[in-house]
Amino acid sequence: MAEYVFELLTEEIPAWMHDTAAATLTQRLAKLVEETGGDPSSVIVNTTPRRIAFMLGKLKEREEDREIEVKGPPKKAAYDADGKPTQALNGFLKKNNASIEHVVDAGDYITIRRQIAGRGIGEILAAQIPQIIESIRWPKMMRWGKGEHSYIRPIHSVVSLFDGKHVPITIFGVASGTTTAGHRILAPQKIEVTSWNDYVSRLELARVVADPMRRRHVMAERARVLGNEVGGTPSIDASIWSQWQYLTEYPGVVRAEFRRDYLALPDEVLVTVMRVHQKQLPIRDAQGKLTPYFLAVLDNEGDPAGNAAYGNSFVTNARFADAKFFYETDRKRKLSDRFEQLEHLQFQEKLGNYAEKSKRIERIVRDLGGDEDALTAARLCKTDLVTEMVKEFTDLQGQIGGIYAREEGYPEPVWQAIYDQYKPASLDDSLPRTLSGALVSLADRIDTLAGFFSIGAKPTGSKDPFALRRAAQGIVLILLNRDKREVKVGIDRLIDLATSDPQVKADLFAFFAERVKTILEQRFAYDEVAAAMEAGWAASLTDLSDRVEALKSVREDANFLSILDSAKRIANITEGHDGTTVDASQLQHETEKRLNELTTVVGSQIDELITDRRYRPALESFAAMAPELEKFFVDVMVMVEDDAVRRNRMSLLRKIGNAVMKIADVTRIVVDRRDYK
Amino acid sequence: MARVTFQSLILTLQNFWAERGCLIETPLDLEVGAGTMHPATYLRVLGPEPWNVAYVQPSRRPADGRYGDNPFRLGKHYQFQVILKPSPLEVQELYLDSLRAIGLDLTKHDIRFEEDNWESPTLGAWGVGWQILLDGMEITQFTYFQQAGGIDLAPISAEITYGLERLTMFLSRKDSVFDIEWTAGVGYGPVRHQEEYEFSKYYFETADIDLHWKLLDAYEGEARRCLDANLVLPAYDFTLKCSHVFNTLDARGAISVTERVGVIKRVRDLAVRCAQGYYAAREALGFPLLQGGSTNG
Repeated sequence: MAEYVFELLTEEIPAWMHDTAAATLTQRLAKLVEETGGDPSSVIVNTTPRRIAFMLGKLKEREEDREIEVKGPPKKAAYDADGKPTQALNGFLKKNNASIEHVVDAGDYITIRRQIAGRGIGEILAAQIPQIIESIRWPKMMRWGKGEHSYIRPIHSVVSLFDGKHVPITIFGVASGTTTAGHRILAPQKIEVTSWNDYVSRLELARVVADPMRRRHVMAERARVLGNEVGGTPSIDASIWSQWQYLTEYPGVVRAEFRRDYLALPDEVLVTVMRVHQKQLPIRDAQGKLTPYFLAVLDNEGDPAGNAAYGNSFVTNARFADAKFFYETDRKRKLSDRFEQLEHLQFQEKLGNYAEKSKRIERIVRDLGGDEDALTAARLCKTDLVTEMVKEFTDLQGQIGGIYAREEGYPEPVWQAIYDQYKPASLDDSLPRTLSGALVSLADRIDTLAGFFSIGAKPTGSKDPFALRRAAQGIVLILLNRDKREVKVGIDRLIDLATSDPQVKADLFAFFAERVKTILEQRFAYDEVAAAMEAGWAASLTDLSDRVEALKSVREDANFLSILDSAKRIANITEGHDGTTVDASQLQHETEKRLNELTTVVGSQIDELITDRRYRPALESFAAMAPELEKFFVDVMVMVEDDAVRRNRMSLLRKIGNAVMKIADVTRIVVDRRDYK
Repeated sequence: MARVTFQSLILTLQNFWAERGCLIETPLDLEVGAGTMHPATYLRVLGPEPWNVAYVQPSRRPADGRYGDNPFRLGKHYQFQVILKPSPLEVQELYLDSLRAIGLDLTKHDIRFEEDNWESPTLGAWGVGWQILLDGMEITQFTYFQQAGGIDLAPISAEITYGLERLTMFLSRKDSVFDIEWTAGVGYGPVRHQEEYEFSKYYFETADIDLHWKLLDAYEGEARRCLDANLVLPAYDFTLKCSHVFNTLDARGAISVTERVGVIKRVRDLAVRCAQGYYAAREALGFPLLQGGSTNG
């Protein structure tokens, strides 16, 4: 069997830390099992709020025996004139716990060779487990009692068992044993542990479900039933589930209810209070509308006395009462009347207040061609920062402004633009719903970026306290979009609108290049992105994405090698030559005359296709010239003595090469030629 | 469950912790925002001396006032504060026993310890711990103090802070704090509502802003003078006065964002010097409570 069972009983470990800690622990334990010759896939790690437990299932009982050699003092110094061992030799043997018969003849130095018996797995575990557990790096450590140790929470007991027998270890001064305890309130009795299966089943009798996934499934099923009972469905929310499963040892769920009149509050507020502040799940009806019911986690089997339902209702009603107070206070004052207050709200010490920022946003939106609605949204977009609601629920900034604007009767393009101003908040988030929203989002973000860059607050390494990478990423995502919300502006022009400082411009340009690259590399190979960006990116991101797309698609074709080889050859031979004007009278050879005529025709054809953004046919036209180009390289010598002739030929090649360079620097594409057989 | 009043809750908790070896202190006779600011917590957690204490502390938070209109929010509420130093390993069990003592059958409720760390920028103090939820409602803040006055603590103190109104409301099933009973036949509302209204009016609308800025300067100056004269405890009193003046100005809307950071720093500098001064003074006295507290401290 060879099974090791471990449990650390602690005080409640924060829910959000469990997944990472369990993953790290699993990895380290698997490594240990593998190093000792066991099966690393047999490692099981389970955590509950108060427990870190694991089982190593298929351990090898002993390490392999090994033979080791140790080199000692020179032979000359090892024996005295009488052939007796010297102090040096004796000392060496003693140090290595060996005797004279272990000495082997191996050259000029004394060498000992001896068998090392493989250690028993119990011995290895006793040495390794405390080290592995104690060295888990928790995001926020604490000390307790005398303050000698630093860990996630104080440690109460340790179970350490190998094949049912106690393997004594000590974790931060706590000696191990073979007993644990059940649920803190429901079944606090001692539990004797003999094996993993026994541990899991006895804990379950003591109201503790060790496996977090099982707790989650039990809760999900219970949630579904409780939702059904009131004709609704609990909102599916992965972030809530991943918290719930680490908040209780017993996987309970309770349904509670808030006062119906609070349904008049904006949905966003209700949901934020429940989800973020109370870790509760709203229940929606068949039409997707919020009901006054919600679910909360419960570390108990049920709630027969209705205490948990009462308590959860009580606290949620209290929160909503506060929200209602803020809401009613806020509505006494229009958003447009709040603008003045923004003068007293600092954006950043060196970058002025929010009134100034709002004016900058408005100006940029105007320069981007925003209409009256977009300009109104720009003027009002920050006014919700001085509402009571946003002071209380900071996560809802933007959304609250949008809701208030809607209630004040502003048209959709205005209120939605305010509502969506922080979109997209991540790579997966949706874009602002309207063109005006896209403009406000762009203007706000480019202003923030230019501002922080101008005061030297660029992100460095992993430090990005003002989330500037996310701001730039949002801009890139909006500019890559090409539906009715498309904003036809390049990064270069956007930067120009936000700053006149050449250094800031250059820094922003480089910063954006990185973001564009990162985002496109999610859909395209790095060399395709690099090749297309080399041909320019800052004037239009949609154009850039068209060019990468074309490159990606021709890359699969057999004639791609012709494109690549031609381009490379041209690049090599014309290195350092810029001219593209060909003097027809200087052309001597028939092949080069024909190539020149062909280039003129095909070149203008490619130019036309490029103007129409039809990049794939453009690249194909280029590929079609390959045979002629091939013939040229065979028939015509470029590097001739005659300067004028040589330069003329290089110009001809440049002219051909430049046509394709407008799409991408294809020479940057890395290919495996075997793929094209 | 026996009929719970505000007063019976205080008495039960007081007796419970007294029976477990706590010294029962009295509330600090100054305006403070929390029981933590009482010298019986903020200063006593420093240094090696053992210290087990429990007391009620009226806690004033001017910005939380709602003119007595909000059933859950108060500009002044009462905390029951317990400090156990060093924190015993069974501290969570002791706490749960205190809930049993006030009449809760825990098997019929939901009790959870959810992460909630505490940090006070004005005190240069922080700790790690939980909010304790009873049936989803926060009734207690539990903190393992890690640092106070910028000084790493050893031994570590466990701080347990009960919200007395919350707990009474919940236990007596009242929907408004003003409906709970202070003692049988005397309501909390009639005793305190006028105070909530008047102080909300005062802190939000009436407080003389110029005067309070002057008070801040004056109290700060006096705290410094005391510190320079090695009078740590008077210095700490004046630090607390500064803190309350700051809270008043804040509620009055008289502090801009930039000023805020500056004032917090001024108060913290005082608090940190008090903490360091207190530690040095106790050390000079040979940490009297280490000897069982029978000598004069």
